[in-house]
Amino acid sequence: MRRIPWLGLLVVAVCLIVWETAARARPDLAIHFPPASSVIVALGGIVWSGDLAMHALASLRRFAEGYALATVLAVGGGLVLGLSRRLHALVEPLIELLRPMPSVAIIPVAILFLGIGDQMKVSVTVYACSWPILLNTIDGVRSVDRVLVATAATFRLSPWQRFWKVILPAASPQIVTGLRVSLAIALVLVTTSEMVVSNDGLGYYVLDLQRSFQMAEMYAAVVALGLIGYALNRLFLLLDGRVMGWYRGATRKEGIL
Amino acid sequence: MSGFAFLAALAILWELAGRGGWIHRLFFPPLSKILAAFWAGLISGEIPSHVGVSLWRGALGYALAAAAAITLGVLMGYWRRVYEAGEILVEFLRAVPAPAIVPVAIVLLGIGDGMKVFVIFLACSFPILINTIDGVRSVDPVLIRTARTFGYSGATILAKVVLPAASPFIVTGLRIALAIALILVVISEMVGATSGIGYYILEAQRTFKIPRMYAGMLVLALLGFGLNRCFLFADARFMAWHRRLTAG
Repeated sequence: MRRIPWLGLLVVAVCLIVWETAARARPDLAIHFPPASSVIVALGGIVWSGDLAMHALASLRRFAEGYALATVLAVGGGLVLGLSRRLHALVEPLIELLRPMPSVAIIPVAILFLGIGDQMKVSVTVYACSWPILLNTIDGVRSVDRVLVATAATFRLSPWQRFWKVILPAASPQIVTGLRVSLAIALVLVTTSEMVVSNDGLGYYVLDLQRSFQMAEMYAAVVALGLIGYALNRLFLLLDGRVMGWYRGATRKEGIL
Repeated sequence: MSGFAFLAALAILWELAGRGGWIHRLFFPPLSKILAAFWAGLISGEIPSHVGVSLWRGALGYALAAAAAITLGVLMGYWRRVYEAGEILVEFLRAVPAPAIVPVAIVLLGIGDGMKVFVIFLACSFPILINTIDGVRSVDPVLIRTARTFGYSGATILAKVVLPAASPFIVTGLRIALAIALILVVISEMVGATSGIGYYILEAQRTFKIPRMYAGMLVLALLGFGLNRCFLFADARFMAWHRRLTAG
C-alpha cells in the first residue's frame, strides 16, 4: 500500500485556496477566471447533466478504435520490418520523410478524403499513434541479442517458435515503450481533430464551452480531461505491471547475488 | 540506395495518379503541381513569412519551457521534499492533453502570440521536467558525497557535478520537447490564428487550394527534419565529452 502524499495534497490545497481568494478579490475578472469553488460546482453540474459522459464516451470510443488499430498495424508492420533487412532498407527513406512531419498536419488531408466524421478522427489517430509503436517495434526486434537467436537455432527451434518464444518476448519491453508514448499521442489527436471539426467529443466540448463563454464549465471539462488522461495512464501502468511483470522479474539484479 | 529508388517510384506513381485522376481529380493533384505551389509560395515570400512567425512562436515557447523545466526539475530531483510537494500537481497537469489547454489559453491570453507561446511552453515543459528529475535522481550519490568531502558548496556541486551528470537525460527531454513544440505550433495555429504554417495549411484546405495545402505539409516535413538535424548537430557538439567518457 502506498503511503498518502500529505505534502503534495497540501500544496494542491494551497493552490486551490490561492486561486479561490484571487478570483474572489477580482470579481471583474470572473468571466475569464472563475473561482475554484464555482469550477468544482460546474464539474458536478456537467457530470450530473450527463453532458460530460456523452462527450467523454464519444472521445473514448475514437481513442480506443484508433489506438487498437494502430497497435495491430504498427506492431505487425514493425515486426516484419524488424525481421527483414531488405524491406526495411526499402521503406526507410519513406519513414524518414514522413516521420518528422507533425502528425496533426495530416488532419486537413484526412478531412478532404474522409469527411468530418468519425472515420477521419480515427484515421488521424491511427496515423499519429503508429509512428512511435512502429519505430520502437523495429528497434526492439533488431536489438534482440543475437546469442539468444543463435542459441534457439542451436536447439532446433523452428523459425515460428524462434519468433514466438524468443524474438517477440525479447522485443516486447520496447514495444510497450512505444505503446506508452502513443497513449498520450492518441489523446492529443482525438482532442485536436474534435477541435478542428466536430459536434461531439471532449475536444469539441471544451472549445464550445469557451466559445459560448461558459467559463466555469470549460475549466471543469479541462479538469475532467486531465483526470481521464491520468486514469488511462494508470490503467496502462497496471496492465504493464501485469503483462510485463516477468520481464522485471527476469532483469532485476538486486537481491539475487 | 534501393530505398531512394522506391521513393522515386512512389513520386512517379503519385504524379501519374494525380494526372490521371485515379484517386481524386481535385483532392489528389500531381506532385509537379504541389512542387510548383511550393516554389510559388517560396518565391512570393508567403511561405517564408508564415514559417518565420511559426518558428518565432515555437522558439520562444521552447526556450521558456527549457529554462523553467530544467530549473524546476533540478530542484525536484535534488530535494526529496520539493518532489513530494509538486508530484500530484505535475502528475495531474501532465495528464491533460495539450490541445485542451488551447481554449483555456485563449480565454486568459486572447488569440495572439501570447496564447500560442503559452501553450507551447506548457506542453514542452513536461517531458523536459520529467527527464530532468529522472536525470538528477540517477546521479551517482558517491559523486556528490565525494564532492562534499572535498568541501565544495551546494551551488558548486549542483553546477559541476549534478548538472553535467544529469545532462544526457535533460538532452533526451529537450529532444522529445522539440517534436512536441512543432505539433503545438501547428495545433494552436489551426484553432485560432491568422498567420503561421498551421493556419496556412488549414486555410488552404478550407478554400480548396489543394496544392498549397500539400505544399504546406511539405514545408512542415522539411521543418521537422531540419530542426531535428540542428538538434543532433548541437548535441554532437556539446555532449561529445559525455560520449568520450562513456565509450569504452
